[in-house]
Amino acid sequence: MRPSAKMLTLGLVGLTVTVVVGFLIAVLLISWFSNPPFGLGNAPPQPVAFPHTVHAGSTADGGMGIQCEFCHRNVTQGDAATVPAVEQCLFCHKTIGGTEDSAKAEIAKVRQSFEENDPINWERVHRLPDHVRFIHEAHIRFFTDPGQPTRTGINGESIGQPLTVPETCSVCHGDVASMTEVQPKQGQSLKMGTCLDCHRNNNVATDCTVCHK
Amino acid sequence: MVTQRVDHKWGMVVDLDRCTGCQACVVACQSENNLPINTKDLFLQRRAYEWIRIERYWEGEFPDVKARFIPILCQHCENAPCEPVCPVFATYHNDEGLNVQIYNRCVGTRYCANNCPYQVRFFNYWEPVWPERLRNHLNPDVTVRSRGIMEKCSFCVQRIRRAEVTVERRERSNLDYATMKKRNFLPACVSACPTNALNFADQADVSGPVKEYFDDVNEHPHGEAHDRKTRGYRLLEEMGTKPNVIYLKKVDPFPLRKGVSHGS
Repeated sequence: MRPSAKMLTLGLVGLTVTVVVGFLIAVLLISWFSNPPFGLGNAPPQPVAFPHTVHAGSTADGGMGIQCEFCHRNVTQGDAATVPAVEQCLFCHKTIGGTEDSAKAEIAKVRQSFEENDPINWERVHRLPDHVRFIHEAHIRFFTDPGQPTRTGINGESIGQPLTVPETCSVCHGDVASMTEVQPKQGQSLKMGTCLDCHRNNNVATDCTVCHK
Repeated sequence: MVTQRVDHKWGMVVDLDRCTGCQACVVACQSENNLPINTKDLFLQRRAYEWIRIERYWEGEFPDVKARFIPILCQHCENAPCEPVCPVFATYHNDEGLNVQIYNRCVGTRYCANNCPYQVRFFNYWEPVWPERLRNHLNPDVTVRSRGIMEKCSFCVQRIRRAEVTVERRERSNLDYATMKKRNFLPACVSACPTNALNFADQADVSGPVKEYFDDVNEHPHGEAHDRKTRGYRLLEEMGTKPNVIYLKKVDPFPLRKGVSHGS
């Protein structure tokens, strides 16, 4: 039996609805489970190709083994970790000019920026919503304090000894020392559930106003 | 060691005898809490707002006339009428006696503002805008509320949190009134008040200026107000909202002649 025009229309409409609804569900699922969604999680292009592997990587791997807080100086003192001023890059790069041509070119950019008093416009990688108050200093103090009786990691694992500052950083940020470019998709998703889990594990305040401002 | 959080219960005492109606608190609040500028347009639309406002009343008839001022801010009620009506729990009462508004949870139903007897909740009808020259004036500790959500006085909770992190947990000392005053952790309106009409402290802090009034008012509930030793009273006390803000009656050494006042 040949389908009538009416049945054909109905079938087409049904097919279209199925495809549209399926597409919407797929979009929602991808948005929810991948963070950030749709390939937006690639590292943004930086004005200077800064390799964390060379600076923060361990000396065994050919890195310098510099501690996180040597450059991100404010991290143990205030809210934001801060990106250092160009002047601080020149502490070392006044004398270290690089060995490979590519490295030489990048370091030349840093020196030029210093000489021209023109700050480098780094692209921000990790971004919290505007309504969240996060104080790096308080979290580092908690995990590095030897007087703290118990501390628990984000996944509920017990941490016996106080951590060092770089170890504390990697609890959330992952192993940055092994990243050539810092990836937005890091150790933790930094959704509200992540914060709450860790706060509950460690029996610290979970009042909304502690984080929401 | 990271000391455990101390349980506070915050309270404010407004001494009407000292209030001169100068509006310094209003300005301090606007700049501390990223409030949009109340332009003439907004006033004409009746959509201008201030988290703390000075209400002015006239007493008597000219020439025997007196101006009376009363600063009205969120009363942070213990039995807050705004809280149970919120369908998404964007407003709730926390352990420290603060009535908290979580902005990103609010969906803008405006039930809370309609249920508030003090008219201290405000709805953002427009996206807030500031002139270009004020681009960098915003306080980073306070969210800029977008269009479509409710906002209100928070007792400058951002300053309280800052105080807890810097004083209680870093320096391991108690957050007493002297420390709060010295290091500017009091709410913006309180630190701006030139006549000390506004006072803010922990209600149990013996060194603070509010304990005596809260003790007295709590001891003598509404209905036996004449028994109170102090001048303290709460706004709309008969409604039983139990505000955490107490007002002190004005002492008038030169009252108006009898029959002159029309009780405005």
